[in-house]
Amino acid sequence: MASVVLRNLTKQYPGNNAPSLEALNLEIDDGEFVCLVGPSGCGKTTALRMIAGLEDVTSGDIEIGGRVVNDLPSRDRDIALVFQSYALYPHLTVADNMSFGLKLRKVPKAEIEEAVQSAAKILDLVDLLNRKPAQLSGGQRQRVALGRALVRDPAVFLMDEPLSNLDAKLRVQTRAEIAQLHHRLQATMLYVTHDQVEAMTMADRIAVMNLGVLEQYGTPRELYNLPKNKFVAGFIGSPSMNFVSMRINRDAERVHLTGIGADSSIKVTLTDEQSDILRKSDGDDIVVGVRPEHLIEGSIDHAGFSAVATVEVIEFLGNDEHIHALSGDTDLVAILNAHSGVARGDSITLSAPLDTVHIFDPTSGLRLN
Amino acid sequence: MANIVETTDLTPRRRGLSRRLSTKGPTNIVLGIIGIVWLVPTVSLLIISLRPEADFGVSGWWKALLDPSSLTFSNYRVLFDQGFAAGGLLDSLMTSIEITVPATLLVTFLACFAGHSLVFGRWRGRDVVFLVVVGLMVVPVQVALIPVVQFYHELGDLFGLNPYGTIPGVVIFHVAFGLPFGIFLMRNFMSGIPKDLLEAARMEGAGEWKVFYRIVLPLALPALASLAIFQFIWVWNDLLVALVFLGGNAHTPLTVFLYDQNHELQANYWIISTGAIVSVIVPLIVFFSFQRYFVRGVLAGAVK
Repeated sequence: MASVVLRNLTKQYPGNNAPSLEALNLEIDDGEFVCLVGPSGCGKTTALRMIAGLEDVTSGDIEIGGRVVNDLPSRDRDIALVFQSYALYPHLTVADNMSFGLKLRKVPKAEIEEAVQSAAKILDLVDLLNRKPAQLSGGQRQRVALGRALVRDPAVFLMDEPLSNLDAKLRVQTRAEIAQLHHRLQATMLYVTHDQVEAMTMADRIAVMNLGVLEQYGTPRELYNLPKNKFVAGFIGSPSMNFVSMRINRDAERVHLTGIGADSSIKVTLTDEQSDILRKSDGDDIVVGVRPEHLIEGSIDHAGFSAVATVEVIEFLGNDEHIHALSGDTDLVAILNAHSGVARGDSITLSAPLDTVHIFDPTSGLRLN
Repeated sequence: MANIVETTDLTPRRRGLSRRLSTKGPTNIVLGIIGIVWLVPTVSLLIISLRPEADFGVSGWWKALLDPSSLTFSNYRVLFDQGFAAGGLLDSLMTSIEITVPATLLVTFLACFAGHSLVFGRWRGRDVVFLVVVGLMVVPVQVALIPVVQFYHELGDLFGLNPYGTIPGVVIFHVAFGLPFGIFLMRNFMSGIPKDLLEAARMEGAGEWKVFYRIVLPLALPALASLAIFQFIWVWNDLLVALVFLGGNAHTPLTVFLYDQNHELQANYWIISTGAIVSVIVPLIVFFSFQRYFVRGVLAGAVK
């Protein structure tokens, strides 16, 4: 087991203008499960491949277990990588796939046998050990790929979107299995995904990346409750946070916001803390964010956010439904109880409590408070 | 009556079979005819080789079908009884093997290494080298014959080692001309092997050599087998290169041996037919022993 520290890690591919990864600083504690999450092209896989030793480092340092490994070949870094494609050796059986690395290291036969058996037991692969990858289902292949990493007992597990090729049901199941595996092994794991749900459900801490830059690093709760900027706020949570551009009205006793132009039915009242911040700032515009799950149908006392909107689309999900409603020019998404009785074309009032409203600087996108 | 019993007694499997025959029937018939037409020359050659020499000028080979008892192995016996004397059939057979086996092995091995390096190597200019190799594929053998002979003599003058007229001289020429296609084939096949597999192996501690023979080579076996068969048959059937480069050598490959039986006024058809059958057998053995490597979908299950 080991910690991983990235210091100003930068990757610049020749011929590209912008670096694919810019001065990434990240500390992963021993035994921690960290997710690197972000849209495609955000540099998360590049970072992972650099840690794995599959890409050269342009500048900065990678430290594994207190040792700088920049110039160390992959095989000497004591890491295992689970590939997005699984990368199983098609000409070898499951057992041979799993023991490949140990055989290369000339580990005694009995030890290899034991390691393979125990990994196979953990991953429920015992009956499949003599099969070839072509005879396995997607989920089984995925488990073999995990098993191949497991038998080597590495200091750090790296996983590159290992669930992206599974169907939705299997993904949920395997997600739980990986989380369980982490608890069992207490191993350091770095997991790359574009799916924020995977990150939220499994990770101890999440690093949200965008365009080669780390946007925020924190626990799932921190990211959800206190997103540092508009990007993180929009990326974490499903469906995404609603954003509305609004005008600041400082005249009244309490600062309040109104929608611009056609959005004038949208009104926001701020908390005292938020009011103070806006009183001290200048600029007339601001971006307000409110999560779909915080919106309620109807008016409430002490509402932070309220809007009158026309229901356009209803997505029924069983227990609840996603309502897409248009207020002026702004599309608002709300998660309402399926028994709310809202119908398409209805004009409804959507409200959210005072402390659920996020405000962001319209130019920098940074959270204000 | 028998027909009625047949039709009423059809089990589901037989019905499936008859339906398959009825839909595929025309295709099978056409393919069967093509197959027979293709086989006629080989079969006739075999029959000629089995007929007494005296019968050759008297009647056509198909007459032997009416009287199979006239067939005899005497032609083979006469030629095999000569043993390995230089210029004999068995000596030529050995010479053919001596040329073809090394030429085939060298081309397949070198093409594998080159393919691996061209696909998975990390050096600049791989694409340019590959393009040059593809360009070399279009160079006809005839263009190079005289320059290479001169080059061989030059080597003899400089180092005292003149490959001209020797078996290695022929092998070197065949290898040089077999490599462009070999490299082309191996490179293109290997580029279908997912890079993830190699990265996974490297991460698990495999060096480049281990990656090559534990991962790439087993996966490239189908291409390797086809290349070996192609190369073997080309070299085995070569007459021109052997004629040019073996001038003065008492040992000649089968092609030259057969060619020598063609005299201006009269050809030894009994020797030609017998020798031709012998020369067909070896490539057939090679083909059937390598055939099992032609498996489709070797890469199935590797990724996704």
